[in-house]
Amino acid sequence: MGYLGEIFVMAMTAIFIQNFVLARFLGLCPYLGVSKKLDSALGMGLAVIFVMTLASAITFLINKYLLIRYDLMYLQTIAFILTIAALVQFVEMVIQKNAPALYNSLGVFLPLITTNCAVLGVAILNTTAFRPDGVTPYNFLDSVLNGFFSGVGFTVVLLAMAGLRMRLEKAELPKSMQGMPIALIIAGIMALAFYGFMGFKI
Amino acid sequence: MKYYFKLGFILLIFCVVASGILAYVNSLTSPVIAQRKAAEEIQAREALIPNAEFEERQSDQGMIYYVAKAPETGEILGYTFIAADLGYSSTVQTMVGVDSEFKVLGVQIIDQGETPGLGANCTQPIFTNQFSGMTLEDIYVDKDGGVVVSLSGATITSRCIANSLREGIIDVKDEPGLGGDQ
Amino acid sequence: MNFIKELSKGLIKENPIFVLVLGMCPTLAVTTSVVNALGMGFAATFVLLCSNIIISMIKNVTPSKIRIPVYIVVIASFVSIVDMVMAAYLPALHKNLGLFIPLIVVNCIILGRAEAFASKNNVIMSIADALGMGLGFTLSLSLVGSVREIIGAGTWLGFKVTPLTYDPMLVAILAPGAFISLGFLMALMNMLKEKK
Repeated sequence: MGYLGEIFVMAMTAIFIQNFVLARFLGLCPYLGVSKKLDSALGMGLAVIFVMTLASAITFLINKYLLIRYDLMYLQTIAFILTIAALVQFVEMVIQKNAPALYNSLGVFLPLITTNCAVLGVAILNTTAFRPDGVTPYNFLDSVLNGFFSGVGFTVVLLAMAGLRMRLEKAELPKSMQGMPIALIIAGIMALAFYGFMGFKI
Repeated sequence: MKYYFKLGFILLIFCVVASGILAYVNSLTSPVIAQRKAAEEIQAREALIPNAEFEERQSDQGMIYYVAKAPETGEILGYTFIAADLGYSSTVQTMVGVDSEFKVLGVQIIDQGETPGLGANCTQPIFTNQFSGMTLEDIYVDKDGGVVVSLSGATITSRCIANSLREGIIDVKDEPGLGGDQ
Repeated sequence: MNFIKELSKGLIKENPIFVLVLGMCPTLAVTTSVVNALGMGFAATFVLLCSNIIISMIKNVTPSKIRIPVYIVVIASFVSIVDMVMAAYLPALHKNLGLFIPLIVVNCIILGRAEAFASKNNVIMSIADALGMGLGFTLSLSLVGSVREIIGAGTWLGFKVTPLTYDPMLVAILAPGAFISLGFLMALMNMLKEKK
């Protein structure tokens, strides 16, 4: 299996087999909170892909060249979360200045992303993940790609959820089921469907 | 401008204080963690091959393994090593003990993060006990034509454990002076 | 009097999980058993309590422009302390909770309480708020954990509680069961609230 094959496996794993939301339970707050409308779900999804890819790159460098080199692993959590917060702030400023149109569609979601555990989650997972051979840790490119594909996986289920919930508004439900409970049950059924991908031999 | 420097300075102070506290806590806890880990490993090794003296060695492939010798005669009783491979959602580490003929004496899962209720059942004796007495040719999961009964719903975990075991045993067996084939 | 009011609101009226719907990730991820749920609940309560105390103490010296980064530093420090202490003295629990211990940092409940309560109230009130919210969180987690462990494994806190003929429904412990159990529990809560 060449490197392209490995990338394909990584993409399939991150999007379907070990989906960030449905199998790893990361990024649930936006998944349940921003999935009421399709266009805002798309905006959130794109913003998350962008930040997760960038955060994976930067936290990888920090981890390898600062934390591991100077034996500061106990500062990992604090270093990563500060990096992500600063990154989100920086991205927000750059987009606001250079691409106002993009800012109008993505801007409102950016501050929410700091506390999206999917971003911190992927940064930490990248430091403990292994290549398919089970011994080599992720290199820089692996981490960035994993961040990107995990973001794509998040967006795919977010969009699917938003589509379902838009239909759901027209459904007649018992009052106690409306809103969050039915959204959770739908998420559960979706997770069941994604279990079909489990054990796929690629 | 001066105001922003002041803000940065305040934030910096907080970070420095926090790092200092964390460094102190780390200096207290890290020896405990290391000690516990070492103790667990020794315990697992001694459970697999009791009453033996262990000698640490490194294989050509870079794997650390231990040669178990009888304390008085120096006769080789077996070998232990930690086999590791990627399971379904984590790296599964297995402490393996084999006798001098490379027949499995026993295995113990020492580290895993597989799905609770499925792959995580690999730590249970009903799964690990079956490996005792197996030889290199046996250690394939049933779906691959071997005799290892895989956990229901967790073939990937079972296969990863079987494969890592086999590779580890081959690795030790290929060591000069130990191999069964020479 | 106020102290008790702040303490009790987190339990039912403003329950972080069932009413405010915050901190969903740990709620679903670590409730595969009651032990894990309790461990997560107490870890989060400890962080919440400590960070609320510190933040309400420093609220006058932190400029409002950098308050969020300062809160994050405070919270992350306590999370790291919990992480290290747990790894040293409760290794099995630490292993089970895994990634979700560092992720307490981004648990919306903690930053939310820091911003909404501790930064505006004195230390005593902040302690009451943290204890109430933390206990509410812990109790809700254990409730979800109990339902999932009993249905999915037939045990509670590791003891067999179902009749021998009951074949545990494994799905309750797996990911889909997490969502579905919480969905039905939340609907039940809504129903009880309507009846009142």
